[in-house]
Amino acid sequence: MLAPAIPDDEPDRLAALRELLILDTPPEERLDKIVQFASVEFNVPIALVSLVDSNRQWFKARIGLDACETSREISFCGHAILQPDILLIPDALADPRFADNPLVTGGPMIRFYAGAPVVLPSGFAIGTLCLIDTQPRTLDQVELTILSSLRDLLVEELGKPAEASNA
Amino acid sequence: MPEQAVSTLKMLLVEPETLLRRTVSLTARTLGLGQIHEAASMPAAERLLREQAFHGAVISIDCSTATERGYDLALLDLVREGQSSSDAGIPIAVMADHATTELLRELRTRDVTRVILKPFRARVLLDAFAEFEAQRKK
Repeated sequence: MLAPAIPDDEPDRLAALRELLILDTPPEERLDKIVQFASVEFNVPIALVSLVDSNRQWFKARIGLDACETSREISFCGHAILQPDILLIPDALADPRFADNPLVTGGPMIRFYAGAPVVLPSGFAIGTLCLIDTQPRTLDQVELTILSSLRDLLVEELGKPAEASNA
Repeated sequence: MPEQAVSTLKMLLVEPETLLRRTVSLTARTLGLGQIHEAASMPAAERLLREQAFHGAVISIDCSTATERGYDLALLDLVREGQSSSDAGIPIAVMADHATTELLRELRTRDVTRVILKPFRARVLLDAFAEFEAQRKK
């Protein structure tokens, strides 16, 4: 298993994440709606808004997964924030970076992963909007574009005050 | 959905659910499928239809409306009766919670090209808009 690298801008990235005052806050309907929509749109059992903290990934919105966080060391999203484009893993068992990852060999038995990096207007990648399936699959160009659009709408939501958005 | 050059189509999407509407609009723009104008309500759609000409429309009809027949086809009638700024024969797809025989008959008489049932997916709506482009090229 390949643990995700730490980005060069890590201190500033973490500062930008924490300035959002969103870590460990309760679920919000406006963000839950996005993962529910993604789950139906792509017909996947798991969809998450994952925020990559210093030692963990914490799920601000989740559907299909009981856990609210995992260690960053085994996270797929830790890899996804390192690149500008969507990280697409059609079959984790066939990918040497993930084949022996405990999230693949054990629950939730990830086989397919697609993570769109959530990049704030300041340029810092704080997490992902990601799709997970227990079966291998892929996304075509239209589906990748839909996922990017949803991610862009998520970034818009994160820029709004929570109270105003929930009103 | 076929690969294509940037489209000049101007289309209307009438859908109250913001997330679906905006996802379709943003994705269509990125894919070069054309310019999709959004309306969240019947009055907003009616205003747009009277003010601007469109090459096609995807219209969500409210199946919970309190009319005698249980749905409102006024926007379709506006276009088909030539009361809008668009050509009366533009392609129209309809989104509905469910389809009764009576509704399907009424849609057929209004030359609806496609009926989209729940669950509504952005991909299906984008395919409908792509079909409009293909029909125009025929």
